[in-house]
Amino acid sequence: MKKIFNYAPAPTTGRRYWRSLDDLAETPEFKDWLHREFPAGASQMEDGQSRRNFLKIMSASFAFAGLAMGGAGCRRPEEKLEPFGQQQDNYTFGDAQYFATAMPTRTGAIPLVVKSYEGRPVKIEGNSLYPGSNGSTDRYAQASILDLYDPDRARHFKHDGKVVSREEALNFLDELSKKFAANSGEGLAFLAESSTSPSRARLQNLIAQKFPKAQWFTYDAIDSGIHQRAATQAFGQSVKPVFHYDKAKVILSLDADFLGGEDDSHNHIRKYAASRKAGDGMSRLYAVESLFTLTGAGADHRLRVAASELIRIAAAIQWGCANGLGMMPRALLEPKPAVDPQWIAECVKDLLANKGKCVVVAGQRQPLVVHLMANAMNFALGNIGKTVELLKAAEVPENDISNLDTGTTDTLVILGGNPAYNLNWSAKPKTIVRIGYYEDETAEKSGWNFPSTHYLETWGDAKTSDGKLVPVQPLTQPLFDGLTDLEFLARIAGSSQTSAYDLVRTTFGGSDEAWKNFLFNGFALEKPDSVTPFLAGGITVAKALGKASNAKTASVSKDNLEVIFYRDAKVDDGRYSNNGWMQELPDPITKMTWDNAVLISRKTAKELGVANGDIVEISLNGKKVSGPIWTQPGMADYSLGLALGYGRERAGRVGTGVGFNAYKIFSGKYIETGATISKTGATYTLACTQHHWSMEGRPAVREANLEQFLKEPDFAQEKFHGVEPPMVQSLYPNPLDEAKKTALHQWGMTVDLNACVGCGTCVIACQSENNIPIVGKDQVLRGREMHWMRIDRYFTSDPKRKDNKSLFNPTADENQTDENQQFAEWIDDVQAVNQPMLCQMCEAAPCESVCPVNATVHDQEGLNVMAYNRCIGTRYCSNNCPYKVRRFNFLDYNKRPLTELKGTMYSTTLTHKTDGEWDLKRWWNDPNSGMRTEDEWDLIKLSKNPDVTVRMRGVMEKCTYCTQRIEHAKISQKVKAGASGDVRLSEAAGTIPKTACQQACPAGAIVFGDVSDPNSTVSKLKLLPQNYSVLGELLTKPRTTYLARIRNPNPAMPDYHDPFSTEEYDHASLTKGNS
Amino acid sequence: MIFPKWTNSLPLVLLVGAALAGGGVAAGVTIYLTPKYTRAGYQPVQPVPFSHKIHAGQLGVDCRYCHNGVEKSWFSNLPGASTCMNCHSVVLKEDPRLALVRDSASNNVPIPWVQVHITPDYVYFNHSVHVTRGISCVECHGRVDQMDEVRHVKSFSMSFCLDCHRDPAAHIRPVDKVTNLGWTWSTNGVEADHLQTVEGKKMVEHMRVESLQSCSACHR
Repeated sequence: MKKIFNYAPAPTTGRRYWRSLDDLAETPEFKDWLHREFPAGASQMEDGQSRRNFLKIMSASFAFAGLAMGGAGCRRPEEKLEPFGQQQDNYTFGDAQYFATAMPTRTGAIPLVVKSYEGRPVKIEGNSLYPGSNGSTDRYAQASILDLYDPDRARHFKHDGKVVSREEALNFLDELSKKFAANSGEGLAFLAESSTSPSRARLQNLIAQKFPKAQWFTYDAIDSGIHQRAATQAFGQSVKPVFHYDKAKVILSLDADFLGGEDDSHNHIRKYAASRKAGDGMSRLYAVESLFTLTGAGADHRLRVAASELIRIAAAIQWGCANGLGMMPRALLEPKPAVDPQWIAECVKDLLANKGKCVVVAGQRQPLVVHLMANAMNFALGNIGKTVELLKAAEVPENDISNLDTGTTDTLVILGGNPAYNLNWSAKPKTIVRIGYYEDETAEKSGWNFPSTHYLETWGDAKTSDGKLVPVQPLTQPLFDGLTDLEFLARIAGSSQTSAYDLVRTTFGGSDEAWKNFLFNGFALEKPDSVTPFLAGGITVAKALGKASNAKTASVSKDNLEVIFYRDAKVDDGRYSNNGWMQELPDPITKMTWDNAVLISRKTAKELGVANGDIVEISLNGKKVSGPIWTQPGMADYSLGLALGYGRERAGRVGTGVGFNAYKIFSGKYIETGATISKTGATYTLACTQHHWSMEGRPAVREANLEQFLKEPDFAQEKFHGVEPPMVQSLYPNPLDEAKKTALHQWGMTVDLNACVGCGTCVIACQSENNIPIVGKDQVLRGREMHWMRIDRYFTSDPKRKDNKSLFNPTADENQTDENQQFAEWIDDVQAVNQPMLCQMCEAAPCESVCPVNATVHDQEGLNVMAYNRCIGTRYCSNNCPYKVRRFNFLDYNKRPLTELKGTMYSTTLTHKTDGEWDLKRWWNDPNSGMRTEDEWDLIKLSKNPDVTVRMRGVMEKCTYCTQRIEHAKISQKVKAGASGDVRLSEAAGTIPKTACQQACPAGAIVFGDVSDPNSTVSKLKLLPQNYSVLGELLTKPRTTYLARIRNPNPAMPDYHDPFSTEEYDHASLTKGNS
Repeated sequence: MIFPKWTNSLPLVLLVGAALAGGGVAAGVTIYLTPKYTRAGYQPVQPVPFSHKIHAGQLGVDCRYCHNGVEKSWFSNLPGASTCMNCHSVVLKEDPRLALVRDSASNNVPIPWVQVHITPDYVYFNHSVHVTRGISCVECHGRVDQMDEVRHVKSFSMSFCLDCHRDPAAHIRPVDKVTNLGWTWSTNGVEADHLQTVEGKKMVEHMRVESLQSCSACHR
């Protein structure tokens, strides 16, 4: 009998990996989306005007183009070269320069090395020299460079809305200083964001001395200082905890999203990934949480509870620990939270079995009591000094913002922040003097506005989370006239020094040699002493425990909903609202772009009768806000997740009006109960990318439990997944086989799914490195987002808890579509897997064989290259790509402002005016002009990486393995080799380039290198048994391979199970070979 | 008779006409639109009448004295006016032709030189990797040491690049002779050609010259 291979059979049992609830239920909308080469409308003009009209306009355009051939088209543009008058030392035009600097964060700073061409910074990278660092950053740092080139930055000094000169503004500060020096600061108040800058602390002291009656308030909409406050209170001296997840065997997160929303997450991810090396000794993560976070997605055991319930769970765990250690001071009643007691008991057992090798961490949203309990647990378990290091910290003077009496305050000085947006204040001081980066909501209310500089434009200093001093070194002169916080404060303080450099240099002290080293390295080696104190605050903690165990039941229900306000993964507290990269980055969990939503569990949604996109009104303490519903698997029941930072009224041309403003009902507490919601009847469209580029249920991600992995290390191979490759040989030789014989290198990559937490830093790093444009919400809805790499997030849920009448019932019709499934409660308990997906650089690439113009071909080193100039935009390659990693420029995204990227009929050069002039005329004068206004266009040009082509409309593009970096490394090596033959890059010599995503990845999940060198890291990783190719059965021979995910659940736990997905594989292996 | 007699010759006339018209279009495109004609021969007037013939030819100043970034960067830089003033603060101190240079050096205002050689934006040509690996300036720029005013002599089309990349042995020379534009393997032309083939091949092998022809070499 003739055997017919079904090359990539979709699992016959209905899939267990799903991206969304629509996917799971296989709704017709989802299938329709999936089965198109490009999403509906992505390749169509969907308007009444139709093709006929389009052709008319096009023919007119061609006529004009024809005319232009004689004129503009054929001109030789005369370009001028303008060298320096004075030749510069140590500078070569066209050669990138790198400077060490740092990005200040709320509780620390990220040491950076910034690449600069001709005095303009183009790419931010982590400082790999920094002790312990792997040169990674977080996504905020990657995206922050776009803010530097934001056309909506505050550019002018303003008084009562009128532009004033810099001198006038500075004179005003001097007068202010004199005025308050006379009355020792009576009526003067400062409102500042928290900062770790020693220079600012010095100025703050100076101000306190000079104006003793002045008040200083520190206010952050998202408060990350609670870890330090709690440790200080618990241990009776000013200390700051540093968590060493790399040294931990058991990690318990009490609503702490340390891999996602907490400050300094890139350090946490790095350390956490180090403890998760597949094999014996792998750490285990327990997460108790309400929102579905990246930490929960990575956890081996996740307990889904309401955030307000967490206090009692923490108490129960602490009670268990203390009891197990025989440290219970007096017979406290055992707290009985409404969760499976075995879960808590076994978790406690695991902690007790790993004394000194575990860590308990409470989330920054949780109240102080929970933090105190976490500290007490760490102390009792002997973790202090081992997995939790306590560093001596400067005292943080507490002055609650509620003490700010705006009635008696005469002059309020605001440094950064945006209190008019995220702090509800009532009375208005007489004068508000404000230094800020944007002309935002606060600027509107301020009498005096000072434009602030970007951290890449000015001198400063900061302290990292582990207490080392780092310099903030400017890469460029301020693009617009601006001041730094330091200069601003120094003026007010009446300091004799007013330049930022002098201030920072004085704070540093030391010799010039030391200062030079400090700037060169980007950090100072001294760090504060760590201390191993007693639990001085023991009584406080005991009291807290008593209070917690007796806490009244919160009993959330559908009439008493809990609201959780969280730091958004993209816009933070609103500070990145006007950052297009951040707005368009799919949220790591919801995959939402350009919006926030009311996150709600499936069960709650069903009970309240709301569905995705329904706009609801939330009432909390008499305040109201409206937003669209989004059902999020993994959410705790009766919890509403609201991302802060959206609904800005004066953010700029990118961020204004995006999402809804959850601050309207926010009162400073991140968890509140007593909310109700009501449907408004209106609906809203959310641009969620979770269906985009889906891979239709094939075993793209593979996972196993640790025991299973130790028994069968090669579980990820094809034979276990029913997708064995057919034993066929191509009739034609692969041209690459011949090229391989002489090529110097063969490039390849591995992505470790076990290390990846899905934070999205790589996506932004790629966007920054490769000049990838943003496309706006409307285009995202059409499936036209341009990210070269995406992070696929798959959900699986427990088949054992399924409804009998479900899709997964083996006795039922296997392929039936059960619409009701999406309302089943068990779906809320999910596991998630993140998979970075980028061009797989197939050796036998399906895209290449269908390109009619050879625009995509292989080079000799195994790169599937894309020659933009050859591409004619047929999109056949994208159609034939099984990984859906190719992106098409449907419009000229660089030349069109966001306002011209929506609607049904797009403007053309014939129908659009820019800066009051017809685009056609602008094009005639300068063929490079687009629809962007002049100020915007100049900044966009400045922000681009000159090593990478800026693609135009009608061109296909995709990941290149950062070919520009490879070429740069190869050229450098050849230049060094000179007349010798030493031209091969090698890992031993440290000359192998890093791709942008690899470089940025905090977990070190992405490894790139030369696979023809058997000693390279990537070659060794590819020999690991858990290494597999996605869709390898198609014989595309991808150069990018994946290391399977290994989970490490505790066999004693009640929710122990194989990965929910493995049943699918078992089933598939039974049915394999069906003919 | 439906068709008059002259229609008998119509096919021939049409064919010849079409061939002529086609040939004309082809010739027109070749002459007016290919780089060989649109670029080669370009010789703009520069703001300062600087003569490469005198400096590089007669005085024997090395190319890298002024174009000092050429071995480090993709770009071969133009010297700052201060480099000119190293000599011209002594030689031809008061010469009116150098007024712009003196002004530039003392006031730090750039001299607006007109760019002669240029590659399109989508081509990532790199000077350093060529000049440090035995490809002489002369291969692309011609005998600049014999030009008073720099002139574009080669076509700079893609096939111009590929000609060399397909046969580097015919163009490579010892690395220390790269800026010696008049250098040949021998004064005897026949012998020079022979040596170029033999020695060039040896060099290409010894230096592991890749001379890539894949897209990624130049386009990113």
